[in-house]
Order: sequence, then C-alpha cells, then structure tokens
Amino acid sequence: MVESALKLERARYERSALVEWLTTVDHKKIGILYFWSSLAFLLIGGLLALLIRTQLIVPDNTFLGPQTYNEVFTMHGTIMIFLVVMPLNAAFFNFFVPLMIGARDVAFPRLNAFSYWAFLFGSLLLLSSFLFGAAPDGGWFGYANLTSSRLYSPGLNIDFWVMGLQVLGVATLASALNFFVTIVNMRAPGMSLMRMPVFVWMTLVTAVLILLAFPSLTVGLVMIMFDRYFGTNFFNPAAGGDPVIWQHLFWIFGHPEVYILILPPMGMISEILPTFSRKPLFGYTFVVFAGIVIAFLSFGVWAHHMFAVGLGPVPNAVFATTTMLIAIPTGVKIFNWLGTLWGGAIEMKTALLFAASFIAMFTIGGISGVMHASVPVDYWQTDSYFVVAHFHYVLFGGSLLAIMAAIYYWFPKMFGRMLDERLGKLHFWLTLIGFNLTFFPMHFLGVDGMPRRVFTYSADMGWDLWNLVASIGAYLLGASTLLLFVNMLTTLRKPADAPADPWDGRTLEWAIPSPPPAHNFDVVPVVRGRDAFWIEKYGAEEVVGPAPERHGAESGHNPHNPHNAGSGDEAGHGSSAGHGQSAHIHLPPPSWFPLTTAAGLTLMGAGMVVHATESLASLGFPIVGLGIAMVVVSLLGWTFEPIHEESHA
Amino acid sequence: MRIERYEKIFMALTLVVLLAALAAIGVGVFAAEVHLPAPAGRVDPRQIRRTAPFDQPGVREVAPGEYEAVIIARAWAFEPNEIRVPRGSTVRFRVASADVIHGFLVENTNINVMVIPGQVAEVAARFDRPGEYVFLCHEYCGFGHHQMFGKVIVE
Repeated sequence: MVESALKLERARYERSALVEWLTTVDHKKIGILYFWSSLAFLLIGGLLALLIRTQLIVPDNTFLGPQTYNEVFTMHGTIMIFLVVMPLNAAFFNFFVPLMIGARDVAFPRLNAFSYWAFLFGSLLLLSSFLFGAAPDGGWFGYANLTSSRLYSPGLNIDFWVMGLQVLGVATLASALNFFVTIVNMRAPGMSLMRMPVFVWMTLVTAVLILLAFPSLTVGLVMIMFDRYFGTNFFNPAAGGDPVIWQHLFWIFGHPEVYILILPPMGMISEILPTFSRKPLFGYTFVVFAGIVIAFLSFGVWAHHMFAVGLGPVPNAVFATTTMLIAIPTGVKIFNWLGTLWGGAIEMKTALLFAASFIAMFTIGGISGVMHASVPVDYWQTDSYFVVAHFHYVLFGGSLLAIMAAIYYWFPKMFGRMLDERLGKLHFWLTLIGFNLTFFPMHFLGVDGMPRRVFTYSADMGWDLWNLVASIGAYLLGASTLLLFVNMLTTLRKPADAPADPWDGRTLEWAIPSPPPAHNFDVVPVVRGRDAFWIEKYGAEEVVGPAPERHGAESGHNPHNPHNAGSGDEAGHGSSAGHGQSAHIHLPPPSWFPLTTAAGLTLMGAGMVVHATESLASLGFPIVGLGIAMVVVSLLGWTFEPIHEESHA
Repeated sequence: MRIERYEKIFMALTLVVLLAALAAIGVGVFAAEVHLPAPAGRVDPRQIRRTAPFDQPGVREVAPGEYEAVIIARAWAFEPNEIRVPRGSTVRFRVASADVIHGFLVENTNINVMVIPGQVAEVAARFDRPGEYVFLCHEYCGFGHHQMFGKVIVE
C-alpha cells in the first residue's frame, strides 16, 4: 500500500527530494517541516535564555551590555512564543488532526503550505535582525510609546519586530481558518463532535481563539507602524494620543494568546494520559467544555495585565473576578486528568512521565496565576521576578513539558522509529530538575523585590544566591534539551521499524502504519464512538451508537476493521491495496505558489524595514512593490493551477 | 448529561474557594479601603516642566506629618531621586512621565503604579520605620531602565 502510493506519486512527479519538500502540500510533510523548524528555533531561543542567565549569574555582571541584554530578553520571549510553542503546536495539528478525524488531508492543502512558508520566512525576517545588529529591544509586549516613537526607539530594531510579527500573524490566521474548516467539515462518518479526540477539540477551540485574538494584534501593530513610518500619533500623548490603547489592544490579544499556547498541550495531555493509564479520559465532556469556557473567558480578563496602570477600582475588581473565574474550568481539567490516572494500569513511559509532570508543574503555575488575580497582591508582584516564575511554570512547565510528552508519544507515528526510552527518561529527569532549579527560586527573588528586565543588580540586594541557583538550573535545562536532540538524531539513523500501534493507542492515527502512507487511510474509517480505534480493537464496554451506513458494496466488507491495524504483513497490504476505494484516492498535487506567495509577503515586510534605513531608504518602497507584484502573480497562478485529476486513475 | 459525584464535589469546592477569594477582594476594596491607583489628573508631557506642580519637583510638607512628593520620571532617572522625610510621616507621591511609560514602585510599601505619559499617578504610603526605601522604575523603558531608581530616606 505504501509502495503503491509512492509509485503513484513518483510516476506523476519526477522531482528531487528538495523540490518535493519545497512544493509539498501533504499535511504530514508540512507538519514535519513545522516540527524541525520550530525545534531549530527552540535551540536559538534556549541559547538566548542561557545568555540571560549567564548575565545574571553574579551581581554587577558585564557579560552583556544593557542594549544587548534588552535585545536578548526581547527576542527570547518573542521566539519562544511565536517561533517555538505556537509552531510546535501547529506541527502536531498538521500531522495529527487529519489522522485523528479520519481525513486524507486538511481542507485547503495549499493554504496549509502557505501558512508554513509564511511562518518560516516571517521568522527568518525577524531573526535576520541579529545580522544587522538591530534585534528588537522593546520587550515581547512592545509597550508604546517606547516602541511607537522613532525618538525613543531609533534604529531598525522595532521595525524588524513589527514586520516579522505581521507576516507571522498572516501565517497563523490562515492556519487557524484551515483547521477550523477541516475539523468542522472533514470528519470521518460517525465522528460526531462529541466523539472527537480532545486534542482535536482543543485545536478547534484554539483556531477560534486565533481568529478572534490575532486581528487585535494586527491592528495594534499597524498603528505602531503608522506612528513610526507615517507620523500618526495613535500612541503619542504629546499630540493627544494615548499609550494605554496599545496595552488594551495588545493584552486583548495577549491573554487569549496564553490559551492559544496552553490549550493544544492540554489536548495532548488528554490523549497521552488515557493511553498510558489504559482508561478512557475521566469526564470527557467536562474536559471539552472546560476548554471552551476557558477560551470564552480569556477574552474578558486582559486588564489583569494592567492593574498597575490605574484603571480605577471598578475595572480592576471586575477583571480580578473574571480572572479568578478561569480557575474553575482549569481546576476541573486538572482533577479530570488526576481522575484519569486514578486506578489506571499506568505504564511509566517517558511520554507519561512528561505528561504527569505537566499536571504538577502547571498546577503550580496556575496557583501563582490566581494569586496575581487578586489586585492588592498583584501590586506586590507586578513586574517582579515572581511573574517570571509564574509564566514559566505555565509555559515551560505547562506547554513545553506537554509538547515533550507529545514528541515521545507521536515520534514513532511521525518518523516510524521509537525514541530511546532510557535516554528519554534521563532527558525527563534532567528537564524536571533543571526546570524547577531555574524557575522556583524566581518566586523568592520576586518576593524579595527583584524587578524584571533589568540587565544587572547590585551585590547588596541579597539576590545573589537564588540567581546563581537559577543559572545553574538553566545550564542543566540546556544540557537536557541537547539530550532530546541526541535521542532524536540517533533514532533517525536506525531502521524504521516502529509498529503501527506501539502504545496500544485509542485514536485513529494508531490504526494506520508508522509513518502513515501519503493518502493516510486506504478506506475512510467508520467511527462508532469515542476512542474510535480502541473500540475496534477491544469492543466497547458501554453501549456505543450505531455505525453510520456506508454506501454500496463496501458496507459488507468488514467496515469496522478498515485500516490494517498493527499489520506489518504483506497480506494486509495486498488486500487493502486491492480494495475498491484506494484506486480513486485523490491527492492534491504539489505546488510552488504557496511558497512564492509567502516569499512575496515577506518581501513586503522586508521592504518596509529597508525603507526605515538611512542609506537605502529609497529602495524600500520598490521592494514593497516587488513583493506585492509577487503576491498578486502567485495568487493568480494559484487560482488557475490545474488539479491533475486525470493522473489518479 | 450525567455528572459524576466526585465531579460535583470538586466543582462545589472550587466554587467555594472562588467565592471566598471574591469576598476577600470585596472586603479589601470596600471595607479595608485598599488603595487602588487611579489617574489623578492629566499633564501634557511636553509642557510638564511648565505645569504645576511639576515645575517644582521635590518634597514639601503640606500639613504636620503629611508630605507631598512631586516626581518626574524620565528616561532614565527620577527627579528628584532622593527624598527625605521624618519618621511617621505620610507621603503622597504625584508622579508623571516626561517621555515613555515608566513604573514607580517603593519597596516595603504597597506602592506600585505605572507612570503613563499624559497621566498623573497619585499614590500614598506611611513611613513608620526609619531607614532607606528604594523606589525604582519597574516598567521596561529602554536602554537605561536598570539604572532608573532613587530612594526615600526616613529619618
């Protein structure tokens, strides 16, 4: 089956491997591209974190100057959020959402490829600022009027930041639309909404969050761009503008963004825990609805980032209340995960260790989050290291630990090889110890009054010890991350011999070979309940709904075991290849246009940066024009591209 | 939809915790009158040095034991960066920015406010123990952010 599909592809496109990857519209290949690019950015962002910790390891350190330090912490935040956690989530959306809902691809495969290339080129635009010695230095939050005024932020630093984020925003929005439509429209027969795996649910919720939150960031960035380039005064208080507007626009994006970063990892956890406990997820409905409620409430809490602005007692009290409300659905989820583990036949695999540690670490971050919700307490903590401790417990202890779990869990499906468990466990323990060593002392530093974003501190403040401990922890974390890469790279040199279903999984992606063939499913599966694949393997414990009817002869042909479960044998392949449906599988053809459209878009952003230079300013708008032309021509080509229907027979 | 008994119990528990936390906020704000900073007026950042009271930054006694400290925050210093008051006095700080957003935090007090250009931030604290209270800018404001601090000396 794999062979026949490959032959089909090869016959159609005699292309080199490089061209194949550049023009691919296969959701699995795009997922793998996202995976490796964002892991590469993880190394860059991690290196910046090590620079920060090296600078702070002793008081009055002069390892980095203040300007370099400001650039480093700004880029660390921006990279980790936009270039690492979001695209790592996207890597798993791309690879697994179509597999989990029993689809052959996403709804708009070429748009999907465009999202990836726009993400990559936007990231490169942002990172290229290092080459020009003008890395963004306004913080990841880029508070106006520091950032919006050329008087206070001369140089190209902020221009790179604004343009890079604009391109990344387009990529993210396109991707969110794509996954929303995919999940709503392309589910296999029988996969009702309430039978979807929780990871798919959380992807759907995240897509909605992105669609509603990112426009606000885009608008804010456009306003900063106009203030910087065209002399508008949106954020200029001297001309009647108000810098607080930026904070509102940024945080009404920024807080949902936090949930954009954490909800997909929560979905991953909700897949991994049941698999390794050999139990269904405890309170599926609650986990799903808690995710929806979190997403809804996240739009009503943004001003808790602004308690110190002076909005007055009433707004502060209202936002404190809504912020505390979010603790309810979050707490429900934590108890549901514990309930899933409770009494389960737990297998201590690396993926489970990471997933279980996620629950503990995320809970610590959640508790300090509720502390921030209380306004009087927040006055103590605003802009202190306590906040740094809090959000690293949520975003590293939460998102990244879950993503690590997902890497160990899904690596066999993505690459057909099992990651080494012993190295994995070493990686896990080093990560857990290093993480807590780095970030737990920051609670103490924050309570002791150490402010954030200062490039050094004096020796008489009493902050030396915990800073030293945090830095040692950071080096440990760096070493543990290298272990992950060693594990992945050595595993990739081994033969691809992973079974289709190594963990005795519950969801549909385990029903097909590892790695999956280009067309995913020989026969579109029929879903009879939650944990669709588990039901096919073991039958259902409780009554499940009737399977929806299939048309024609297929319904008589063992409809409930459609996808060669766990079979490495030739017989399985032969029978499915001979199956009626696989001959008519339509795979979208590769295309250059997503890549060229994304390149044109990035060229537009780069042109704006060039326009802000002193020596080459006159080249700026011509480059923007070139970019626009490239986008228009590419979109025309995209629209009229033939679909190669005939070659599939 | 069936709800497990345990789920009902922990939902009730979370609700109780939340209601207690909300009640604490209510008591804090309305009964104990926890000070919440609110803009106490507007000032044009370009005209700040010609606008009262910021034309004369410094500390002055307004009543016995009560002081007003007028402070300009600018990149990257406070003017003045040293304030002397006797022990037991209440100081009302009026802080405004001459350029970008700064912060104003006084250690070992409840003072923590963002200084938005265009707004006057007004906060107060009572200093009973003699000693030095560092105040600093904790809102990232660019290159010299780390060196933007001063102190209140209580004698």
